[in-house]
Amino acid sequence: MSEQARRVSTAGLYVPLLLGAVVTVTLGVYGSVHTPTGIAVNVAGFSSPQTVKVWLATGAALLALVQLVSALSMWGKLGSPPSWIGGLHRWSGRFAFLLTVPVAVHCLYALGFATYDTRTLAHSLFGCFFFGAFTVKMLSLPKRGLPGWTLPLLGGAVFTALIGLWLTSSFWYFTTIGVNL
Amino acid sequence: MKRNGPLLTLLAGLALAAVLITVNLTVTARGGDEPDPAGFGAPPATTAPATTAPAASAPPSAAPSAEPSPEVAPAAKVNAVWAGTVDGGGASIAISVTDGVAVAYLCDGRKAEVWLQGTAADGKLSLTGKKGAILTGAFGGGKATGTVAANGRRWTFTVKAVAKPSGLYRATATVRGAKVVGGWIVLPDGSQVGVVSVDDVPRPAPAIDPATGAVTVDGAKLTAAPVTGALA
Repeated sequence: MSEQARRVSTAGLYVPLLLGAVVTVTLGVYGSVHTPTGIAVNVAGFSSPQTVKVWLATGAALLALVQLVSALSMWGKLGSPPSWIGGLHRWSGRFAFLLTVPVAVHCLYALGFATYDTRTLAHSLFGCFFFGAFTVKMLSLPKRGLPGWTLPLLGGAVFTALIGLWLTSSFWYFTTIGVNL
Repeated sequence: MKRNGPLLTLLAGLALAAVLITVNLTVTARGGDEPDPAGFGAPPATTAPATTAPAASAPPSAAPSAEPSPEVAPAAKVNAVWAGTVDGGGASIAISVTDGVAVAYLCDGRKAEVWLQGTAADGKLSLTGKKGAILTGAFGGGKATGTVAANGRRWTFTVKAVAKPSGLYRATATVRGAKVVGGWIVLPDGSQVGVVSVDDVPRPAPAIDPATGAVTVDGAKLTAAPVTGALA
């Protein structure tokens, strides 16, 4: 992508980075200021809101792995990429993102930014960071003339944050409470 | 179109979040300070009770008297103690109600604990604690069921009514200048779960003698008393 650009500059990143920071800070501030309600609407078919979130997050984490592999393929790290790999990357990413939204809404609305222990603190920080990083990634995609490391770096940040979120929530749930629907 | 794709993705997520928040606000605001437990898809048990409570004639979602304020004297005098393990294990909860004044204690026996206080009336539990801790639930038919949200965590529970010596015990004292607050849940099988906080630093509590409430904390002899009525 950077080969096509005439001028390589990080200037195009300023606005996405700014907006991403706004998203992250807004989520953190809302999570801290809003009094947690303790409850929120649930998705039918699960035994509790917690299990809904656990499985939505697990779905998103699995799609994130698809993201990682398809991104590696798009960048030619796994041999010549098939024609459909771009579509797979885009749509798996969209679904992953949409799966995270109800989880985040429940977290922020019902629970808030928590510093109860290392796990919840890390989870809160990852959560705020994830949506900011995702915003930066999305807003950077259409920009031309960005350095070649931009998208791998941003994608890696988003991926790391999501896996961190999953480890501090769903994985913790599975190993502490058990695997149930 | 292709260049707008990422932006549309972001906007779709934003729209989804907006819809969910709107639904949340609508559902949780309907009952005022006392959200309808059915609104979050709680297990069926929450709809079953509420019939054995005195004067439970009002519709469940429209009870105006269920504000989580310990000062309000409830019309129906409820007296009960429920205790047991939360769903999924990992923590125990006890709720003691004296003349409609409810005190709940949830702890894991290691370091996590939360005290809540509020009301039990019309088959509904409504308690609050420090740092925004909330307990909402329902009772009747010899059991209490509900949800506790505290310290960024949530627990759900369905626990049975218990009789002495099972129940909720609390001890407060000042030991060598340190404020000591201990809470114990004694379960029907005789097991105990307790946490004692010394100057707000929680740690596992030594066992109490359920018959007398005697316990030794940091070399000081304390007496844990059954919780009856509002916390001091």
